[in-house]
Amino acid sequence: MDSVLGNWPSYDPHNFSQLRTSDPSRSSKMAPATYHSIHNRDVPPADQVINTEHKNILLREIYRRAEEKLTPKRAASDNLIPEHGSKQPRVST
Amino acid sequence: MSIWNYVVTAHKPTNVTHSCVGNFTSPQDLNLIIAKCTRVEIHLLTPQGLQPMLDVPIYGRIATLELFRSHGEAQDFLFIATERYKFCVLQWDSETSELVTRAMGDVSDRIGRATDNGQIGIIDPDCRLIGLHLYDGLFKVIPFDNRGQLKEAFNIRLEELQVLDIKFLYGCSKPTIVVLYQDNKDARHAKTYEVSLKDKDFVEGPWSQNNLDNGADLLIPVPPPLCGVLIIGEETIVYCSANAFKAIPIRPSITKAYGRVDPDGSRYLLGDHTGLLSLLVITHEKEKVTGLKIEPLGETSIASTISYLDNAFVYIGSSYGDSQLIKLNQQPDAKGSYVEVLERYVNLGPIVDFCVVDLERQGQGQVVTCSGAYKDGSLRVVRNGIGINEQASVELQGIKGMWSLRSSTDDLFDTFLVVSFISETRILAMNLEDELEETEIEGFCSQVQSLSCHDAVHNQLVQVTSSSVRLVSSTTRELRNEWHAPSGYSINVATANATQVLLATGGGHLVYLEIGDGILQEIKHAQLEYEISCLDINPIGENPNHSNLAAVGMWTDISVRIFSLPDLNLITKEPLGGEIIPRSVLLCAFEGISYLLCALGDGHLLNFLLNTSTGELTDRKKVSLGTQPITLRTFSSKNTTHVFAASDRPTVIYSSNKKLLYSNVNLKEVSHMCPFNSAAFPDSLAIAKEGELTIGTIDDIQKLHIRSIPLGEHARRICHQEQSRTFAICSLKYNPSAEEPETHFVRLLDDQTFEFISTYPLDTYEYGCFIISCSFSDDSNVYYCVGTAYVLPEENEPSKGRILVFAVEDGKLQLIAEKETKGAVYCLNAFNGKLLAAINQKIQLYKWVLRDDGTHELQSECGHHGHILALYVQTRGDFIVVGDLMKSISLLIYKHEEGAIEERARDYNANWMSAVEILDDDIYLGAENSFNLFTVRKNSEGATDEERGRLEVVGEYHLGEFINRFRHGSLVMRLPDSEVGQIPTVIFGTINGVIGVIASLPHDQYVFLEKLQSSLRKVIKGVGGLSHEQWRSFSNDKKTVEARNFLDGDLIESFLDLNRNKMDEVSQAVGVSVEELCKRVEELTRLH
Repeated sequence: MDSVLGNWPSYDPHNFSQLRTSDPSRSSKMAPATYHSIHNRDVPPADQVINTEHKNILLREIYRRAEEKLTPKRAASDNLIPEHGSKQPRVST
Repeated sequence: MSIWNYVVTAHKPTNVTHSCVGNFTSPQDLNLIIAKCTRVEIHLLTPQGLQPMLDVPIYGRIATLELFRSHGEAQDFLFIATERYKFCVLQWDSETSELVTRAMGDVSDRIGRATDNGQIGIIDPDCRLIGLHLYDGLFKVIPFDNRGQLKEAFNIRLEELQVLDIKFLYGCSKPTIVVLYQDNKDARHAKTYEVSLKDKDFVEGPWSQNNLDNGADLLIPVPPPLCGVLIIGEETIVYCSANAFKAIPIRPSITKAYGRVDPDGSRYLLGDHTGLLSLLVITHEKEKVTGLKIEPLGETSIASTISYLDNAFVYIGSSYGDSQLIKLNQQPDAKGSYVEVLERYVNLGPIVDFCVVDLERQGQGQVVTCSGAYKDGSLRVVRNGIGINEQASVELQGIKGMWSLRSSTDDLFDTFLVVSFISETRILAMNLEDELEETEIEGFCSQVQSLSCHDAVHNQLVQVTSSSVRLVSSTTRELRNEWHAPSGYSINVATANATQVLLATGGGHLVYLEIGDGILQEIKHAQLEYEISCLDINPIGENPNHSNLAAVGMWTDISVRIFSLPDLNLITKEPLGGEIIPRSVLLCAFEGISYLLCALGDGHLLNFLLNTSTGELTDRKKVSLGTQPITLRTFSSKNTTHVFAASDRPTVIYSSNKKLLYSNVNLKEVSHMCPFNSAAFPDSLAIAKEGELTIGTIDDIQKLHIRSIPLGEHARRICHQEQSRTFAICSLKYNPSAEEPETHFVRLLDDQTFEFISTYPLDTYEYGCFIISCSFSDDSNVYYCVGTAYVLPEENEPSKGRILVFAVEDGKLQLIAEKETKGAVYCLNAFNGKLLAAINQKIQLYKWVLRDDGTHELQSECGHHGHILALYVQTRGDFIVVGDLMKSISLLIYKHEEGAIEERARDYNANWMSAVEILDDDIYLGAENSFNLFTVRKNSEGATDEERGRLEVVGEYHLGEFINRFRHGSLVMRLPDSEVGQIPTVIFGTINGVIGVIASLPHDQYVFLEKLQSSLRKVIKGVGGLSHEQWRSFSNDKKTVEARNFLDGDLIESFLDLNRNKMDEVSQAVGVSVEELCKRVEELTRLH
């Protein structure tokens, strides 16, 4: 038992060195001050307001596969992709 | 009551849900960070122990709290995610002492089924991404870029639907998670996945492990060099990695929390459901795991979180009992325990039930809660205000003033208590038997009233009467010197300290004297334009015997003035406004800040910040303490100075975190107070009240006082019976080793000693569900009625229960009658001299019938079907309000003539109720299980039956707390003539240990406070950028709507914490002066 119960990690040997052991049946009553955010740093920089990408997992997967398939062909016919790649509203005549 | 309600916290949450340790407030500081559901507490590890730094309210229920260290940073950041799918990353700026939001966001998905086992939030140990499991079948990733900035989040499909735990593995070249899950055959497995940030998908991980312990519930990732993961089950603990597998059997237990001890991950503390703390050791050789070992250490509170702090000290956070600071000893104590509990931190949670009683019969409510669970169950007596523990008292009418004096300057204790009456002065002293008896100080004039007395330097005493100032030796008690008022003038008011006397005679004459050895010397005289009403020269500078300033209150121009001493130069004149003269002034200092307090004749108190070098008065604030003139005196308790304001509503003024606080003293009326620190009664106060002189000690100076009565078992219901002066509880005791692990009892407790005085054990499988004290028509006796349920393992809903009627005879519970029911008796109410029971889906009325043999029985009269489960019932007159398991609130009416109960109206929303209360004839209050509050109104004037049959929702609010119980009542003494005394209140108790107050306001006050609340929202921002409006919006599975007709008292009362600039900002927005705002908000704080 001794072998595993000793040698407790110590980051700062002073920590708790002067702890006054009050009667443990009495509860500790120290109440910290309540923090109120009254500055303007409650809002992060604009690029750190994070949302989830809207693309659905399935669509993302389809696009990814489509991209994988298209990649080798891209060199040959770059300008064809929009025509075949996705649906486009038909201009009514 | 009304539909305009003000909700405020009287006791903050104390249930500790999360904790972590790291360098948060500076690279050198080691901090313990604790989450208490909606609050985060930051502590600092110091040589003296844990030092609380901050209590941070969070606008959300905390689901995840993690510290992490971004690349290249010297200190940790705090990641917080809330149950309503918001998250933020906080950084501490130690220069400004501000919490800065580094990032925030919304991680909700429009479609998705919330996980059953709670939300999981984890951070990759190499800080490449944050992982969140919020919805079944989805794993959300928030990636970090290489500068530590967060990027747009995305979802990955997770095949495992019943996830028990997910953790990141250490030491993997790609971020890798291990998922502990249950399959559709209820078998449990662990599987690993690599997260491919580029493809936004999982790649099969390095290993998986099938068919784990059926109770496996917790993963502990092991840091390098060992790496891998520990899987904690109920009967085994397994270590798994790509190339090793070790398992050990353990004594059957459910591990609730773990804490890593060594940075290399070779030892862990495990806390189980019985509060047993164990040490799990990974034995290893050359970075290879060779085995596992587990050693029991000892007992703690049942842990919900464990954080190893430093030097063998460990923090145990608990949801079921008090949290603790413990030390791990190398040698066991007498009981074989290696655990030493050094500090306890009160936790009232979970408050399952409570009652409001006036045990001391002083007109002041006390809350007695059923707190804690399992072995940590307890009763807690929660009382507002400061109590005086009476040591001695004598009848003495007409006291006009009191002062304590020492028999020599060096004496530590007071000997004399000078009590002044309208035409005499009497001296009391402690005799050798430590009794207070009358004595004499020969040099004092005893045939007249004393205006002031004080100890003076050189073993002297000072007495001021209307004609003279007398300097008396405290050893010989003889007169040494006397200063006479000029003929034709009498002294009206006077004050003194050890070296100075200041007095005022009629005609506005101010005279300043100094005290020497046998000498009283008039130093200065000043003629003021008006009469002087009060004076003070309490030393607050460096010299405790001498003051450089004098405070003077004036008639006629109603002002308070500061003069310099000894030259009596006027340095500040502050008009008080209004027509009420100042009656008492006091110079005082709290926490290094100097104040001038000025009490008016109508019970108002003004306080100013006092610049002691310039005499300037700033930051004027006004509060209403009572309705009668106030007398101010300082006193010391535990080496801290406080001020006692004697009036019809005695108050202690003290300072906490450099803010003045006012706490009620639990006495009705006090005319005078003086500290009396005698050897027999150390640290005591002498108090003159209602024809009585009392000597007593004072409670610790704080607002709420909590007394714990540990039961060692779980109390679930409580009620008080005034007539027998007892409490009765329904409780259960866990005994895991016995054949029947739970035994249920009805227990009777003395309401003063809280000792069990009688016990009635319930049957096997029989649970006590409800208890009330009531009486019946045509029977003068008072009974305890208990509703029970037989909870059989094979039944989904109980099909049998009992109603037991007990009388208290000779301090024993006597069973008088019992009635079998066809289901669980969830609720009982005394109703028209009968007993109304909620039994499964039915409301049933029983009458109390006298049988031929003289005994009584409960006889069914009528009932009402049509509920899913009628769980909570309140009655008023013939009306019955039912809170249903899932069908919100319905209103029933009992028709006497027909002997029938009919439904009158219902709320058609699908709220899952947790408590209901009747606010008034027409308005009912409900709490539901998504932590919301709402009010509904009966519509008697509706044109059609359909309209009349609908309870209209009139108020909605997100409290963020699960309420188990409402009770009418008040925590504070209600004085009929005070404004606050007119406001009706309901108290609630929650799972997190919150005690809160809902106060119904008049409409104009509501409108005013609503405006104040919306202005405060702009000044006090949500920590982490979280929005107050969103937080308080009513939200459950069905809908989210803006809060209405409820105000957040916690936000409104934090106005008093603001600095002057911010107060001014709010004041301008609201269009009301700061002084008026302070006064009105301060009054609200007196509701709790």
